[in-house]
Amino acid sequence: MDKDKKFFTRMGDGSVVYMTEEEIRDDIRDGVADAASRGKIPPLSDEEMEHIYQIVTMPGNVVGVEHGNEIVSTNDSGSDKVGAKCGVPVERTTQALIHERVLGCDSVDIGFRDYNYKTAKGVVEHEAFAVRGALNITAMPIFYGAMTNLGFYTKPDGPVDNWAELLPQGRIAEALAAQEEAVEHAVKDVVYVAEQMHKVGADAMNLDTSGAAGDADFLAALKATEIITQRFPGLAVEIGMAGEFVLGMHGKLTYDGVRLAGLYPHKQVKLVEKAGASIFGAVVNTNCNMTFPWNIARVCTFIKATVEAADIPVHANVGMGVCGIPMCEILPSDVVSRADKCMVEICKIDGF
Amino acid sequence: MNKEQIFRAAHESIMECDEDKALSAIGEAKAQGLDLVELLGMGFGAGIRELGDLFGRGEIFLPELIYSTEVMKRATEEIEANIEVSDKPKKGRMVIGTVAGDVHDIGKGIVASLVKSNGIEVFDLGREVPAQTFIDKAEEYQADFIGSSALLTTTMTEQKKIEDLLRQQGLRDKYKTMVGGAPVTKRWAEKIGADAYCEDAADSVRMVLEWVERK
Amino acid sequence: MGDPLGTEATHAIAAGMGGIRTAGDLVLRMQLTHKMKINEAKKYVAEKLGVSVIELADVVRMTEVREDLGIGIQEPFNGANVGMEAKFRISEILGQKINSVERFKERAGLK
Repeated sequence: MDKDKKFFTRMGDGSVVYMTEEEIRDDIRDGVADAASRGKIPPLSDEEMEHIYQIVTMPGNVVGVEHGNEIVSTNDSGSDKVGAKCGVPVERTTQALIHERVLGCDSVDIGFRDYNYKTAKGVVEHEAFAVRGALNITAMPIFYGAMTNLGFYTKPDGPVDNWAELLPQGRIAEALAAQEEAVEHAVKDVVYVAEQMHKVGADAMNLDTSGAAGDADFLAALKATEIITQRFPGLAVEIGMAGEFVLGMHGKLTYDGVRLAGLYPHKQVKLVEKAGASIFGAVVNTNCNMTFPWNIARVCTFIKATVEAADIPVHANVGMGVCGIPMCEILPSDVVSRADKCMVEICKIDGF
Repeated sequence: MNKEQIFRAAHESIMECDEDKALSAIGEAKAQGLDLVELLGMGFGAGIRELGDLFGRGEIFLPELIYSTEVMKRATEEIEANIEVSDKPKKGRMVIGTVAGDVHDIGKGIVASLVKSNGIEVFDLGREVPAQTFIDKAEEYQADFIGSSALLTTTMTEQKKIEDLLRQQGLRDKYKTMVGGAPVTKRWAEKIGADAYCEDAADSVRMVLEWVERK
Repeated sequence: MGDPLGTEATHAIAAGMGGIRTAGDLVLRMQLTHKMKINEAKKYVAEKLGVSVIELADVVRMTEVREDLGIGIQEPFNGANVGMEAKFRISEILGQKINSVERFKERAGLK
């Protein structure tokens, strides 16, 4: 061991940092221990931690998985990244083709620029037409995607009282009732949009950032999935999470007898399976103040436990700020590719 | 009960949301002539800090935290009624809100609850709060801290506006500013000149309490 | 969130099958319809296409296979199938109903 040699890596916010072998190994161990303690899951083995170290310190910019280990991808960009993010004025059905024929994607979701089921509902005919257009010209699966985003159902934007204001005021019973009411509104909207997408032949629905507003938000996604998969055969559902554990804004909501608040990915996936979803989009938060080795070790501990528990495919969410990917808009391929390689080789992930 | 047992009872009263237990611990402490300020910080305060940590790990949930906050508030009132004014623990005041154009307030609400539970007076300005309103309200409430939350990359620029307005109005040194929200990072905080970036609610509490101590 | 080169393209190069460049779209279809995990889905598709699992992610081999079977390729010239016509073939080869194909048949009066 050359004690003074430093390796290039990054912080969780994307800043460049140089670390010694000892520092990297310490961070990997600490990241694993943190995940194991929080999730009450087994830590990674010494061999697995060594594997992470080898990947983190590999020379070169982009690293890759070995032949035969390639996986598939789903998406939550709304097929609007080229337009909305890059400022290149291309309409969404053409962007879907770009994803298929230029970016090497296995699928894409079409989504409204205001990526919420509540707002998409109002323009669903136009959305369905865009999906139909993409379906006619692409060969890959096409999803319709949006967020349940329960917070949008609170006043003044929606019909129910705002529990985020009621709770700090100590008006707990009212806050819980408001969340329960919001769930019913959200389920109705998601199912309505799904029905229109089924009519035009969409392959699947993406319920993105489920749980963003807490346990009620996750419940809305589960209930909507149950209805969609029963009512619309052939329309699959992917539930993608918002955070690594389900925030207990209500605390008492259950699904299939299991309390939702506080669940980590390896427990979340079992309920997602029960609801009938085909794919689970697992999330582990990237900590901006910690290094990439710490973050990815932590991610691998959680994701490995999730994949082992799951009976359905698990697609780790590898967008900005999750699963080891830095929290920055323009992403550095060095750590993005290393995060991918770690999750494929250590966690045996089914997709991204 | 000895001192250690009294402090443990205070800690447990917060963990168990038990107001009777809290008042009983204070009664015992008074009877034995113990330092009530120390009881507040190391007994009850330790309970709130542990709850905050458990909340951050997903092991307890917001309504439970709120119940405990009520117990903490009662305990604080009882202790303050029994000590000299000069011995009262330092306090702080904070205005917090979600920035203009942004309706996401779940995280901000959690920060407000947790900071409040630690004895800071919190004025929650709600969501879609214009930059100037943060400053106007900080002046009105004589706040010490300004906290802003943004969940979108398109709205986090409002946090820079707050910093710019504070500087333009000669008020920058009067307040400590903290920024948070999903797309917000330490780099962003440093770039715009905010005093602190807070990763989560527990981080926010740590920062605010540190500032209160240094006041 | 994020940029296409830093996310989609990087993920595809580092770890992805590459969609219709190989058989990624087909493998994903098996995950969606039958909830197959990655290795099971790859094995199923490889058997249906008459290739090995290793070949399934090889762009050179799979371009030939896809062109021959008419299931859509990345450069859609020389009469190669694209879009809906490719999906008709995919549905047949995988032994799998595809929603958009069924809706197309209904609308076109073929069903």
